[in-house]
Amino acid sequence: MTGRLALNGFVALVAAFLVLPILAIVPAAFSAQSFIRLPPETWSLRWWGEFFNDASWRLTLLTSLKIAAFTTLISVLAGTAAALGIARSGPRSRALLTGLFLGPVVTPVIVLAVAMYSMARATGLVGTVTALVIAHTMLALPFVVLNVGVSLDGLDRRLLLAAAGLGAGSFHIFRTVTLPLIVPGVVGGAVFAFVTSFDEVVLSIFLAGPTVKTLPVRIWEEIRLEYTPVVAVAATLMLALALAAAGASRLLSRR
Amino acid sequence: MSTVQFAGISKSFGTFRALDPTDLDIPQGEFLTLLGPSGSGKTTLLNICAGYLVPSAGRLVVGGRDVTALPPRLRNMGMVFQNYALFPHMTVAENVAYGLTVRRLAREEIARRVAEVLRMTRLDGYGDRAIRELSGGQQQRVALARAMVIQPDILLMDEPLGALDRQLRKEVQLEIRRLHAARPRTTIYVTHDQEEALVMSDRIAVMRAGRIVQIGSGTDLYERPVDTFVAGFLGESNLIAGTVSAIADGRATLVVPGLAQPLEGRAADGLSVGAPASALLRPETVRAHAGGLSARVAERVYLGELVAVRLSLANGHDLWSRRLISEWNGRDVVEVGWDASAISILPNVLV
Repeated sequence: MTGRLALNGFVALVAAFLVLPILAIVPAAFSAQSFIRLPPETWSLRWWGEFFNDASWRLTLLTSLKIAAFTTLISVLAGTAAALGIARSGPRSRALLTGLFLGPVVTPVIVLAVAMYSMARATGLVGTVTALVIAHTMLALPFVVLNVGVSLDGLDRRLLLAAAGLGAGSFHIFRTVTLPLIVPGVVGGAVFAFVTSFDEVVLSIFLAGPTVKTLPVRIWEEIRLEYTPVVAVAATLMLALALAAAGASRLLSRR
Repeated sequence: MSTVQFAGISKSFGTFRALDPTDLDIPQGEFLTLLGPSGSGKTTLLNICAGYLVPSAGRLVVGGRDVTALPPRLRNMGMVFQNYALFPHMTVAENVAYGLTVRRLAREEIARRVAEVLRMTRLDGYGDRAIRELSGGQQQRVALARAMVIQPDILLMDEPLGALDRQLRKEVQLEIRRLHAARPRTTIYVTHDQEEALVMSDRIAVMRAGRIVQIGSGTDLYERPVDTFVAGFLGESNLIAGTVSAIADGRATLVVPGLAQPLEGRAADGLSVGAPASALLRPETVRAHAGGLSARVAERVYLGELVAVRLSLANGHDLWSRRLISEWNGRDVVEVGWDASAISILPNVLV
């Protein structure tokens, strides 16, 4: 009995250790003071007003959303296609291709950043949305390939044979059988891709420019100048979006 | 509905020969069963017919048209898979309508034909159900309906009853037979269950190790098997090993160690004098016979109105007899005879 109590207490401690530092930023965003102190002495929405009345913060948020949207779109299309190809290939090329597509996940991000930066400089793309979308897609693609791949592994091949036997061509089979059955994987991959892009900071710092800046980059820059609760507002926004995305994927894949 | 001709069809996977060159003609409307143990090539033959496998050699002609190189979707064949392969994200009606939608039939025509086939398979009222809400037997009927509704040239079934329990299997067997009788359609049915084969088929092709070893009606196979493998696969059998001492006029004589009288019976092909062979005595031909061989009743199995009895002969041979229960009642030491005209002498097959 005491053992069980101790275990529960320990689990609660670990959970608190994981979550509290993240949640601590939320009350800071509702402070009335002009500096971050926990807990705030007086509460207000003052900094939310600051954030949304500032055109440059709004632009940053829009840039982040735009880049995440493009990244998601490209990753989902390319990643689903890649997963379908991998599922069809023989065992040896399958292992090779999987390794290749998952490469960016295991490569140190700073190495990717340096490589991408030199490529972007050579092509004059530093500080453009294009460069950020390309870089984020590289990081997001593996998650789509993985998620869709798991869905495809669970797909009964005989369903495809049955559809072909009933007269369906390969595109019709894909549209009516394969795609509906791998939707959970595609949705999961899309959420991962979106969150990956929205959270990304290392590659973005290297590739962002004065006019094209994502939210994490702006937060990082801001914090180095002055530590005001408007940063907490931006962070809270990011947290809310990530939670919303995770919740949406849970709802959609439960179907 | 069409005739099917396999001409020299064979299939190898690498160095493994799954199917020896096979010739097989199936007349229009016939219900043919491919019967054999797993690995005998029966499913390979079926998949070649469906177009899921490309044969290594030979031609497949359906209704006069060479379809060997045709992909499955252009063959107009209805396939029922072992685990049904129903589309889990569609309703019963959507599953059944799939092949008709692909053929771009008018909406009303699709609805009419789906309703008709659901009625035929006793699934009326189930059209809007999800697949996972159905029992195994109902799913099996949906698979059958989906295959039949496209009015296929050939209906192909790959052990479709394997996942059902025994009682349900009997019901569906009769159901399939009834549907076939109502509208005969060339059908190839794969199973390893001899009873299934006997209940439904016009002809049965027994397969072993990539070859059709015998093809014929259930009666042909039961009464005139070509070797000990077919005899053992269809029905119960007593096989008594011996040596062939004479062959003449389609009859053979078998000398059996420990048996004073040699056994005489119909000679199958492939026997030669001096070679080992076996005599087949079906259990229903082994009966009590005053003045026959003395035997001890070693085992009794109650089968309802019949009883199966294992008779231990003095020379150590065991014979199973399956007769009315009154015939073997009570006694433990009996005198045994058999219907000599029902004996077949068969070449041995090592399995």
